[in-house]
Amino acid sequence: MPTSPSVRERTAEPSGPAGPVTPGPPGADGGDRRRRPERAALLRRIGLRVLALAVLLGLWQSVTALQLWSPVLVPSPAAVWRALLETSGTHDGVRGYQGHTLIEHLGISLRRIFVGAGAGVVAGLVAGVLMGTLPWVRVVLEPAVAFLRTLPPLAYFSLLIIWFGIDEAPKLWLLAIAAMPPVAVATASAVASAPTALVEAARAIGARRGQVVTSVVLPSALPEILVGVRLAFGIAYSSVVAAETVNGLPGIGGLIRDAQRYNQSDTVVLGLFAIGVSGLLIDAALRLLADRLAPWRSHT
Amino acid sequence: MPSAPDTEKDRAPDATGGAPVVSVREVRHSYGRGADAVTALGPLSLEIPAGEFLVLVGPSGCGKSTLLRLIAGFEHATEGAVEVFGERPEPGSRAGIVFQQPRLFPWRTVGDNIGLALRYAGVPRAERARRTAELLERVGLADTAGRRTWQISGGQQQRVAIARALAGGKRLLLLDEPFAALDALTRERLQEDLRTVSAETGTTSVFVTHSVDEAVFLGTRAIVLTDRPGTVALDLPIDLPRTGADPDELRGLPAYAALRAEIGTAVRNAAR
Repeated sequence: MPTSPSVRERTAEPSGPAGPVTPGPPGADGGDRRRRPERAALLRRIGLRVLALAVLLGLWQSVTALQLWSPVLVPSPAAVWRALLETSGTHDGVRGYQGHTLIEHLGISLRRIFVGAGAGVVAGLVAGVLMGTLPWVRVVLEPAVAFLRTLPPLAYFSLLIIWFGIDEAPKLWLLAIAAMPPVAVATASAVASAPTALVEAARAIGARRGQVVTSVVLPSALPEILVGVRLAFGIAYSSVVAAETVNGLPGIGGLIRDAQRYNQSDTVVLGLFAIGVSGLLIDAALRLLADRLAPWRSHT
Repeated sequence: MPSAPDTEKDRAPDATGGAPVVSVREVRHSYGRGADAVTALGPLSLEIPAGEFLVLVGPSGCGKSTLLRLIAGFEHATEGAVEVFGERPEPGSRAGIVFQQPRLFPWRTVGDNIGLALRYAGVPRAERARRTAELLERVGLADTAGRRTWQISGGQQQRVAIARALAGGKRLLLLDEPFAALDALTRERLQEDLRTVSAETGTTSVFVTHSVDEAVFLGTRAIVLTDRPGTVALDLPIDLPRTGADPDELRGLPAYAALRAEIGTAVRNAAR
C-alpha cells in the first residue's frame, strides 16, 4: 500500500496491521476554513493512488502480454477479471466456484472471523482487565498469553482438529485463540497505566473502587484497547486461510486452497484480492469507529 | 456571579457543634522507608473552625500540598492524627477537592463531568440536569454543558473543576494551587469569583498557594509553612472585608499591604 504524508500526522498512533493513518474527521471546532484545503489534499491523494493503481495494472497486463511465463503461473488481469465474473454468477450450469459465489465464500469467511475473533476479543478484554487490575492474575496469565502469542496459528490448528473435528468449531477456535493475545496485552497495559491524576479526581468525587474502574480506568484505556482490537482482526484475517486449509469450502481460504490444487492461479489471485480489499475496508471501519468512540484521543 | 441559594439557616450551626472542621494533631509525614525516608511535614498541629478560609503559604517543597493530601485522605499521616468532621478522612467522603490541573474526564462532556459528581454524591437522576445547570451558572459557565472539555479554555476548565468539587455539596473545600497554571488575567478573575462564592456560601476552605498576594486576597487566615519538613512559621488572621468590597479597592487598603508585607517576610525567612 503506498504511503503518503498525512495532512495531520498523529504522533501517538501505533501502526496497525494495515499501513498509514489517514486523517480522521476534522474536529467540531475546526470550521470550514481548515476543512477546504484538507479536502483538496485528500482528493489529490486519492487521485495519486488511483493513478498508481492504473500504472500497476498496466505493467501487469504488459508483462503477461509478453508471455515471459506461462499464463498458468502468471495470470493476466483480464484472466483474473474473468475469474471474478465466473465465480460471481452461474456459467455452464455451474454456480460460482464449487457451488458458491465469490461473495458467499467471502461472507462465510467474514462470518468466521467475526464470530471467532469476536469471541477472542471479548476473552482478551476480560483477561486484560483482570490482568491490569489484579497483580496476581497478571503474574499467572502473562506467561501463558506471551506463549500463545508466539505460536503460529497453523501450529495449534492440528491439535484443534483432533479435539473438535473438521467442521466449524476448530476454525472458530483458531481465530479466537489468535485474536485473544493482542487484545489482552493492550488492555492489560492500558488498564495498569490508568492516569493517577484522573483516578484521584474520581475518588475525590466519591467514586468507589468499581466505579473508578468504570468511570476512569476503562475509558482511559479505550483508545489502546481499540488498537489491540484492530491488531486482533488483522491477525484473524491473516489466519483465516490457515483455518480453512482443512475442509474450508465454502470459504475464501478454502477457495484459494482448492484453486491451487487445480493450478487455477487466476482464481487464487482473485481470492487474494478479495481478502486484501475486505481486510482494508474492515480496518478502515475499525479506525473510524475508534475515532468515533474515543474522540478525545487527538485532543489530550 | 449570581447569589447562591444557601440561606443563613442552611449553613448555621454545624453538625459538629462548634468543634473544628479539620483538626491536625502532632502530625508528621514521611515518604519512603528506613534510611531513604524523607520527612516532608511536621511535627505540625492546627485546627480549622467552620467557615474559615485558610490559606497555606510556603516555598515549594515545604509540604503544603502534602498537608492538603492528608486532609483529603489521599494519604495517611506517618505519625499523629488528622480528623475531618471528627472522622479519619477518606477521599470524596467529606470534602470537595480542586487540583492544580482541572483533571476533567475528556470522555465526558462538561455537563457530564459534573453529572458524574452529582451521581456519586447520591443526587437522583431526575435532578442532575437542573443541578448541573445551576452549578455551571454559579461558576459563570452557563450553556457550556454540551461542550467537550477540550473545546473550552484552561480557565474555563478550572471553573468546571470547581463546579465539580462543589457538586457534592460538601461543607469543606480543599484547593491545591488551583490557579497556578493559569495566565494572570484569568487567575485574577477566578480569584475574585472564588472569593465571592466562598463569602456567599461560607464553605470552610483550605487553599494551598505559593503566592502571597493570593493568600491575602482570598484568606480569612494564613499559615506560612517553613521549608521541608514543613512546620508552622506564621499563623495570621486576615481581617479584610469579605463582601461588597471592590477587588481593586481591597488591594489598595493599607491593611492589605501590611498583611502582604508580613506574610511575604515570613515566606522569605521560611525559604532560607
